[in-house]
Amino acid sequence: MSVPATDPTANTEPTAESLSSWLADRIALYLQRSPSEIQPTVPLAEYGLDSVAALSLCGDIEEDFDLVLEPTVAWDYPTIEALAGHLVEELQSMEGGSR
Amino acid sequence: MTVAEFGSFAELVLTRSDERGDGDAFLFLADGVKGKEPERLSYLGLDRTARDIASWLQERGLAGRQVLLLFPSGLDFVKAFVGCLYAGAVAVPAPLPSEQGQHFRRVSGIVRDARVGAVLTLAEHAPEVEAWLKAEGFSDVACLATDQGAVGDADAWRDPGLSPKDLAFLQYTSGSTSEPKGVMVTHGNLLANEAAIARSTGNTSESMVGGWLPFYHDMGLMGHVLQPLWLGTTGVLIPPVSFLRRPVRWLELVSEYGVNASAGPNFSFDLCVRRITDAQLEGLDLSSWRTACNGAEPVRAETVKAFTERFGPYGFRPEAMFPCYGMAETTLLVTGIPRNRAALLREVDAAGLERGVVEGPYLGALRRTLVSSGVARAEDFEVRIVDPETLVECAEGKVGEIWVRGASVSSGYWERPEVNAEIFGARIVDQEDLGTWLRTGDMGVLGDGELFVTGRLKEMVLINGRNIYPYDVESAVRALNPAIGTGAVFAVDTGGQEHLVVIHEIRAAAAGADLKTVTAEVQQHVGREFAVPVGNVLFVRPGTVRKTTSGKTQRTLMRKLFLEGAVGALHSVLDPAVAALVEAGAQAAQADGPAPAEVG
Repeated sequence: MSVPATDPTANTEPTAESLSSWLADRIALYLQRSPSEIQPTVPLAEYGLDSVAALSLCGDIEEDFDLVLEPTVAWDYPTIEALAGHLVEELQSMEGGSR
Repeated sequence: MTVAEFGSFAELVLTRSDERGDGDAFLFLADGVKGKEPERLSYLGLDRTARDIASWLQERGLAGRQVLLLFPSGLDFVKAFVGCLYAGAVAVPAPLPSEQGQHFRRVSGIVRDARVGAVLTLAEHAPEVEAWLKAEGFSDVACLATDQGAVGDADAWRDPGLSPKDLAFLQYTSGSTSEPKGVMVTHGNLLANEAAIARSTGNTSESMVGGWLPFYHDMGLMGHVLQPLWLGTTGVLIPPVSFLRRPVRWLELVSEYGVNASAGPNFSFDLCVRRITDAQLEGLDLSSWRTACNGAEPVRAETVKAFTERFGPYGFRPEAMFPCYGMAETTLLVTGIPRNRAALLREVDAAGLERGVVEGPYLGALRRTLVSSGVARAEDFEVRIVDPETLVECAEGKVGEIWVRGASVSSGYWERPEVNAEIFGARIVDQEDLGTWLRTGDMGVLGDGELFVTGRLKEMVLINGRNIYPYDVESAVRALNPAIGTGAVFAVDTGGQEHLVVIHEIRAAAAGADLKTVTAEVQQHVGREFAVPVGNVLFVRPGTVRKTTSGKTQRTLMRKLFLEGAVGALHSVLDPAVAALVEAGAQAAQADGPAPAEVG
């Protein structure tokens, strides 16, 4: 597995780009593929994303970003690009809420 | 402690609550393990609530009737289940539809088949359950929310005086989506199998038992809910979703609570190997884990090795890995490996296995690794290997259908007398006087008393006198090209001749060659490795190969769809005889009514 582009513990705001890279790494791990195979605009279902992998993704988002999401998020935002965009919004609103 | 002590599982729970009183029967952790306070249910608390629910059921004349349990993972399920046993009602556990995003319609089949008299659920789910019952026209089925304080009158409860022959619950197996079949489990079966599990695993009243399995599944119900009660110990439980989100929670549970026995299917051990990080493992101690039951799906040698290596440094001992074999039809466990011994892997000659013989391995020849599912204990089960065609017992070392008998074996499926006569009332040729056996539908071989499961009878493909195991072909095809995904391999009969059909998903753009070339590679490779002609290869879009909710490939369904001409391919080659068969099937399907939705 390649090193994630963003260290989530570092005190930097994740961007859509860094999140895309993080997502591709995680999804490649669940689906036992290489991260370079996961294209940002291709629906994840085409890579064989199933409900167990969707739950895995939510677990890892919770672990690394402290953000609790429903597993349906992977179907509502079906590509890496869409998911990364959604995560940026969620993280920003979480920041706003905690101020 | 013997089975004969108790006439029913209800009597057993009554006795345990006298013995254990305020002691913990169950601990439940809904959301995480580390640093969380568990919800507790004492033996007395369980007894009190079960009496209350039982009195409600008895009052409504539901003793002896089927009662559907629709609960999310949690202790309310346990109370309702024991309540049914106390009432002399027949529990029917099923997954709560909204929990898995499935429609209620799926459970409707169970309500009809089991002729359910009432549904027990939680208050928060009662409105949707009631709306569903009304919509389906189940006007005489009552719905009760069991989590709103007393529902009946615990003092009015009467001991139903059950015997071992009385039904305890119906187990609707997970694969039966289209035509649900409920395995009838009596109180006698239940007591016998819990005793068998304890003997095989080495569990005692001092053991800590638990895990993440769903309670409506036989392994979770028998292994993690009823085993602690049978032992009179404490069960510690987390929801499946909690584990799937963060697999390390399973290991945290073992570590924090000193769990000795915990079970899961092969995929869950795999998930731990792939997803748990070193950082998550810091400080975990798995040395209490004596029995890690790996069953309910084929046990893979790679998984056994990888799990043992990965978690060895955290106290997981090789002899803790406990490959086992069982099914709902035998209540649960049939065989397990002897304790204090590591899993037994055996390499055999691949060609021999295809002919149904375990031999080799031979130098330079292809080999397969089989994992022993262990031994059946003589006091619990007899296991034989029988030729599924001639019904003659096979010689040792020869692959045949696994036949089983013993006190844990169910008398059959609910209201399926014809199927039961065939499946549960089978006799071995020339040994008819021994009585009847259960035909498991699984293929296997015995060696030195140990059972090796080699595949499923119905999915097995017989071509040129060879037994081809679909899983093996699918794995070989996938290994050819990273763009090739899930597959379904099966055989079709064009009148006296069996043809292998290979359907695989492919991401065509990533294949690095045109599909015609990839198809040719598949045909060449499978043809050479398995020595069977591969005249039929279909490459389909990702998502086309159907799977059950637990991830098992539905080969029988794919075969049916294929024969109805309902599998749309990106590229295919078909044997002319098979093409004609599919053409005829498609026409018949169309004449029969609306065409099934095309897949792919």
